[in-house]
Amino acid sequence: MMSGSSTALVTRMSSEQRVALQPAYLLHRTPFRDSSLLLELFTPGHGRIGLVARGARGARSKLKGVLQPYQLLLISWSGRGELPTLTGAECQDGGVFLQGDALISGFYLNELLLRLLARHDPHPHLFHRYQVALQGLIANAGVEWALRLFERDLLQELGYGLLLTHEGGDGKEVEADALYCYHHESGPQRIATESRGVLSVRGATLLALARGECGDAQLRRESKLLMREVLGRYLGPRPLASRELFRQKWPSSHEE
Amino acid sequence: MSTPLINRLVEALRCLPGVGPKSAQRMAYHLLERNRGGALHLAAALSEAMERVGHCRRCRTLSESELCPICSSERRDATTLCIVESPTDVEALESSTGYQGRYFVLMGHLSPLDGIGPDDIGLDRLARLLDEGNIAEVILATNPTVEGEATAHYISDMVHRRGVKVTRIAHGVPLGGELEYVDGGTLSHAFHGRREV
Repeated sequence: MMSGSSTALVTRMSSEQRVALQPAYLLHRTPFRDSSLLLELFTPGHGRIGLVARGARGARSKLKGVLQPYQLLLISWSGRGELPTLTGAECQDGGVFLQGDALISGFYLNELLLRLLARHDPHPHLFHRYQVALQGLIANAGVEWALRLFERDLLQELGYGLLLTHEGGDGKEVEADALYCYHHESGPQRIATESRGVLSVRGATLLALARGECGDAQLRRESKLLMREVLGRYLGPRPLASRELFRQKWPSSHEE
Repeated sequence: MSTPLINRLVEALRCLPGVGPKSAQRMAYHLLERNRGGALHLAAALSEAMERVGHCRRCRTLSESELCPICSSERRDATTLCIVESPTDVEALESSTGYQGRYFVLMGHLSPLDGIGPDDIGLDRLARLLDEGNIAEVILATNPTVEGEATAHYISDMVHRRGVKVTRIAHGVPLGGELEYVDGGTLSHAFHGRREV
């Protein structure tokens, strides 16, 4: 699935770039001119890219069913500049549908990638983690935890990885039954009691995130708050639209 | 040869879908040279429609009266409500399905990444309509895109909470089509949605 040979497929003719049959997921699409689409795609070898799909909204376009989020595509494109043209797209895994709440969770994954990844910055490992997270959403089991692990991996890939197994500063191992507060720069720091206005998490939560093992409801809740705080730092003040949709759908619940 | 007024007309015609600079110019000259009567008629129809066509108070579709003809008709079944994305979808269903209930037109779909949320597609008004309590079935006829599915799912939750029956239109192979030429996604949807005969 990874594109080990993608460099071989890229032939540079003057400044025009041609890329053939790259695996990709569609993150977002917007109508463009009369019958075209602007696409934001996530590929392993080229990172997040923007493409124009000419005529893709036309009545006879065969791409309409293909250019949908959450399904693995093989895409080809050519052109120069910031917005090359899509020259071909086919679906790799027909019959995989996100349904129900998982659709909205999928919007959340895509929004994170759109907001946090720079264009043309390859992240092959993150591509794989995105696939794993989508599998979790498709199976519709442990959706919330799949989102947490993706957030953890996303931060790791961006170079903001969380310190989860050792305390910041003195490097002591995190103990499951101790209480910690998480500092952005230095990592977890042991505290004696919870205090207002400071996000505190149990050592067990940090260790569960490190190992990727899911646990009880309190653990999931703490992980969510921790991730929300850390991600918020990199997302900036503009709220996530997909999180807003969750909030409107379940005004009182802790889903995400 | 073009004057400021002709230029303005050409520019104005370009707001039509599918009309680029060249076709706009052709239209402008055609109207000026050969069909001034038709052009004046078009101008009058345009300005009257833009001024007088608004939205139906009940179903949000385009209408020039407070209630659209479907909502105000005595013969339509007021207990079924079909939810569609646009007024053209209403036209399509009206001309081919023989559906006798009423509609609710969202004028779009949920698309969080474009900043379109539930209130932007009138779901607050839909909730009030459901709360009035005389609807027995809601038919979700949003488009089979990811956004359309998300919209259908969001609405189905709203409807379920009120204990009303909700159905989704089927997706499948086009009539007269051959399986060989149907795209994988559609075929797989059709396959998963198979029914007993």
